[in-house]
Amino acid sequence: MKDVDSSPPAIDVRLFSSLREQVGCGSVAVIVEGPMTVDELLRRLADEHRAVQAFLSCIRVAVNQEYVGESHVVGPGDEVALITPVSGG
Amino acid sequence: MEELRTDRRWIRIQEAPLDVAPASDFLRVEEAGGIDLFLGTTRRWTDGRETVQLEYECYESMAVSELDRLLDEAADRWPLSRACILHRTGAVPLREISVVVGVSTPHRDAAFGACRYLIDELKRRVPIWKKERFADGTTDWVEGERPPLTDG
Repeated sequence: MKDVDSSPPAIDVRLFSSLREQVGCGSVAVIVEGPMTVDELLRRLADEHRAVQAFLSCIRVAVNQEYVGESHVVGPGDEVALITPVSGG
Repeated sequence: MEELRTDRRWIRIQEAPLDVAPASDFLRVEEAGGIDLFLGTTRRWTDGRETVQLEYECYESMAVSELDRLLDEAADRWPLSRACILHRTGAVPLREISVVVGVSTPHRDAAFGACRYLIDELKRRVPIWKKERFADGTTDWVEGERPPLTDG
């Protein structure tokens, strides 16, 4: 992972389970100009990754290890994860 | 491995096989008159298909946080003496334990209620996923539940 001063601010979004397999990696970086809502982040991801688009209707988003709603605001430094339907136990 | 342990609660995500004895040792205290232990195990047959093993993936740091929130909720509703939730990751062969949910309470009604609540909510909300590996060589991610909406 690049982390040099000249690189634009990005949010690393963690992926798991079938979404991780379909995208082909455990996290994707989203370049951000500033704070954005979870809804905006999801749309950006769906534009860039067809697999995310397919999961949009059943994804929940977690920020810093807690589920958040679509209007929650995220920015660089936040730990973001896309949570597809869970099946633990 | 990820773990959170206090005097009264014990949460642990681990790849090694799970054993019941450490959980029951943790739960047995003088103020408790009853213990409920739920064990999830790998089942061989589901709707006529033969499973050889389950493979668990976990977002470990969040799973521990979410389990801690579940235990807060359970402690608000029932008088828990102690509670533990242990979950295994990676491959879990037939008959082996994938999850241990245990509570001890002064009387049995609370133990049954709290234990049931914890395993049900774990399956709804905690970021863990399982893939079924079948005898014919194919695999399937188990269709799970969408965690409930939050406000904000």
